[in-house]
Amino acid sequence: MASIIDIKEECALQVRNFDFTYKGAPAPSLKKVTMPIAKHAVTALIGPSGCGKTTLLRAFNRMHDLYPGNKYEGEIEFEGRNILDPKEDLIHLRTKIGMIFQKPTAFPMSIFDNVAYGMRLQGIKNKTELNDRVEKALQDAALWKEVSDRLKNDANGLSGGQQQRLCIARAIAVEPEVLLFDEPTSALDPISTQGIEKLVIELKERVSIIIVTHNMQQAARVSDYTGFMYLGDLIELGHTEELFVTPKEKLTQEYITGKFG
Amino acid sequence: MTAVQKRILINKLALGFSTFSAVIALGFLFWILGVLMMKGIDALNWNIFIYEGSPPGYEDSGLKHALIGQLILVGLATLIGVPLGIMAGTYLSEYGKNSKLAHTIRDISDIMMSAPSIVIGAFVYAIIVMPMGHFSAWAGAIALAIIMIPIILRTTDDMLQLVPGTLREAAFALGAPKYKVIIDVVYRGAKAGILTGVLLGVARVAGETAPLLFTSFNDNFFTTDLNAAMPSLTVTMFNYAISPYDDWQQLGWAAAFILSMFILGLNIVGRLILLAGKRK
Repeated sequence: MASIIDIKEECALQVRNFDFTYKGAPAPSLKKVTMPIAKHAVTALIGPSGCGKTTLLRAFNRMHDLYPGNKYEGEIEFEGRNILDPKEDLIHLRTKIGMIFQKPTAFPMSIFDNVAYGMRLQGIKNKTELNDRVEKALQDAALWKEVSDRLKNDANGLSGGQQQRLCIARAIAVEPEVLLFDEPTSALDPISTQGIEKLVIELKERVSIIIVTHNMQQAARVSDYTGFMYLGDLIELGHTEELFVTPKEKLTQEYITGKFG
Repeated sequence: MTAVQKRILINKLALGFSTFSAVIALGFLFWILGVLMMKGIDALNWNIFIYEGSPPGYEDSGLKHALIGQLILVGLATLIGVPLGIMAGTYLSEYGKNSKLAHTIRDISDIMMSAPSIVIGAFVYAIIVMPMGHFSAWAGAIALAIIMIPIILRTTDDMLQLVPGTLREAAFALGAPKYKVIIDVVYRGAKAGILTGVLLGVARVAGETAPLLFTSFNDNFFTTDLNAAMPSLTVTMFNYAISPYDDWQQLGWAAAFILSMFILGLNIVGRLILLAGKRK
């Protein structure tokens, strides 16, 4: 019943028969999700509120483990291993699979220290290396020009859009393989949103991106593949253009034409 | 009288009474401060800071012994109470969260906050002074620390919980281990609040007399021996104030003034830090 395309190119992640149940919930929030995530491409997840987009996204870096009692079943393959394995090194996994949140999450420290935080965690102490990589990350996040003369200032003095780009700089500074975006522009104005979207498209050269969005236009603008989720099921996964122009599933068509949602 | 006029009249009466009550309540505070200022400043002179206690009638008597003793006692209590309070608060907010154990600790801590301080003095007397066989600064400091811990524990717990969960998640998402998340992100975010809690906790115990009466007891002479009885401003003030000698009573007023200014200062600084933290 679900219509999932076969991705010919190399995949960054492979989700197979994935079930997820929140602590104390009577039924799973995600049911038998099977989904390939293409490497160096943008995959968007769309669907109405409560359909499990964010739940799926937060499984990729095992964010659910911060709250005990949640249950995973099935498999998510990354770099040849199942990351749902209880023995998976979560600290290592999270340096490989980074995350950008809905609201900007600048730490209460300077702009420089924010970007350097992940690198310092990895034990990088060399000043020159830190300086170089912080500058590069800020340039890649299109923030360098705006902050280069005030790196020592408190990061909370930046605007919302700048803070979100700072968070992107912080995430790419540790050179992850995959970046997860959880509605990264829902708290931003249109201009900042445009900036973030441009960045997402540029970044896919180097990282594989999964982006959850409420905004179908945004999915159409930035993504190569789109997955439509409904009530914990992945209904359809296809090339973005095909999914929006000629959806294979009736539910997908009803959703993208605004019949519900 | 129409209904509206009646309502306006009732409104004016209610406003009048509540303003009057507020003025009376605040009036006492300013009255106390006023009397303290007049009597205290009068009694202040350099000798107070230079000389230790002496029998009544001597010119060169001061409060040096009590001032230093007070600082030692409060400092020692802070050294014991602050780490314990902050660590316990961290446990509640970051590890215990909504567990049964965490709630039980919070409830017990709240009860301890309103425990009569003389009872805590009696407790320390029983477990430390009695077995050791003598009064000591340690016993006094421990009694004060016991009073301080629930205050610091509660403010730390509250302030850490104000740090948004997404900030913690963002640090975890970068591959930070939990202790790093707490130290680098959560503590930094709650810095001002925790510091305020510490200052208010110190201010609260600095004015305690009852728990010191039978723990650190008192001494009329200067000492830094932590294993012996140690003078404090509060107990000295109590002894001097009830004495029949004029010069001792004067010293009592000076002690009351210095102590009040110290505690008032701590409170004001604590609140200013919190305000500055909020404005950011």
